[in-house]
Amino acid sequence: MLDFYYMLYSAPCRSILMTARALGLELNKKQVDLDAGEHLKPEFVKINPQHTIPTLVDDGFAIWESRAILIYLAEKYDKDGSLYPKDPQQRAVINQRLFFDLSTLYQSYVYYYYPQLFEDVKKPADPENLKKIDDAFAMFNTLLKGQQYAALNKLTLADFALLATVSTFEISEYDFGKYPEVVRWYENAKKVIPGWEENWEGCEYYKKLYLGAILNKQ
Amino acid sequence: MDFYYHPCSAPCRSVIMTAKALGVDLNMKLLKVMDGEQLKPEFVKLNPQHCIPTLVDDGFSIWESRAILTYLVEKYGADDSLYPSDPQKKAVVNQRLYFDMGTLFQSFVEAIYPQIRNKQPADPEAMQKVDSAFGHLDTFLEDQEYVAGDCLTVADIALLASVSTFEVVDFDIAQYPNVARWYENAKEVTPGWEENWDGVQLIKKLVQERNE
Repeated sequence: MLDFYYMLYSAPCRSILMTARALGLELNKKQVDLDAGEHLKPEFVKINPQHTIPTLVDDGFAIWESRAILIYLAEKYDKDGSLYPKDPQQRAVINQRLFFDLSTLYQSYVYYYYPQLFEDVKKPADPENLKKIDDAFAMFNTLLKGQQYAALNKLTLADFALLATVSTFEISEYDFGKYPEVVRWYENAKKVIPGWEENWEGCEYYKKLYLGAILNKQ
Repeated sequence: MDFYYHPCSAPCRSVIMTAKALGVDLNMKLLKVMDGEQLKPEFVKLNPQHCIPTLVDDGFSIWESRAILTYLVEKYGADDSLYPSDPQKKAVVNQRLYFDMGTLFQSFVEAIYPQIRNKQPADPEAMQKVDSAFGHLDTFLEDQEYVAGDCLTVADIALLASVSTFEVVDFDIAQYPNVARWYENAKEVTPGWEENWDGVQLIKKLVQERNE
């Protein structure tokens, strides 16, 4: 039994929903309403002392950090190992992209959008942080040159994580049209990644809950 | 194996310690990032993201320190003790590596960098993130000698490089008793600790010289 603690609007949670679908796994989905403080309830903190989502509990084994969950699911349940191949060099490239996703691309979203959306006293947009997003997309664009997929010449975990992230930029109306490799990769990834529709539904939900104020202003 | 690095960088130091633990020889190539050497075309060709650490293993170029750590163990480890192949044990190590990057070291970037780089006073909001990160690490270490199980792994080494770097601002690790206990032990059992500590001292020296 795979218990999955999540919210559909969360990008890291969505990357796991798509990966589970690709692997044909059934998740027992449990919503954790962060706005209502459900993640701070003792029963959840007991499962994950860091009280973050996504959190996966596989038959008593609890694990969090979305990209660690992606790798766990692939290693445990991907019979042919295609999403996370065993070759150390191929793995290293996938891992590089996963770390890039967390600390460069998604982090640039956090720097620019979070102060506008999630702080008690909302802050105005900071153009310097917008530049960090541009830089991150320019870098992703470079990494994609001559490649159909994000890490290797086939679909891997890196594409799932990055698709969840890039779609969050799209719903936030960040225009990445000036990065042609990213656009090409994104259009293809949307088509070939199972569960894209659910991911987009999560994006729409996120927009409805949180993006209203900043998008109306623009 | 060519290793592009700077001793001030905590992620670079985690690779140096891991290579030492594995008995892997690195051909050390100091990159003077303060002088912009990482932007030279020959380096951008190796790593378009032009960041350090970068490892080039017989033509295969890889960056992101934590990806390098797991690559080195998978490729050159005599056994899998530093990075277990069991999916659940590995998942815990990975969780800690992502925690190191996205939470603990990220709190350093937001709270400590501005203090040492631009002489800014400590920002209470950012320092709260540091406190929260150390608090979580303290919880992970309850009743545990190592951060991800019962033996030394690359998660300990990555976190050792990060935690030790907080000492450049005389951050009081003793507030977190489990972290303090783990830290003392990790210093003793991690090969290459001295080289790591030299790097921390170098940052301190550079900051002092600049402030004088």
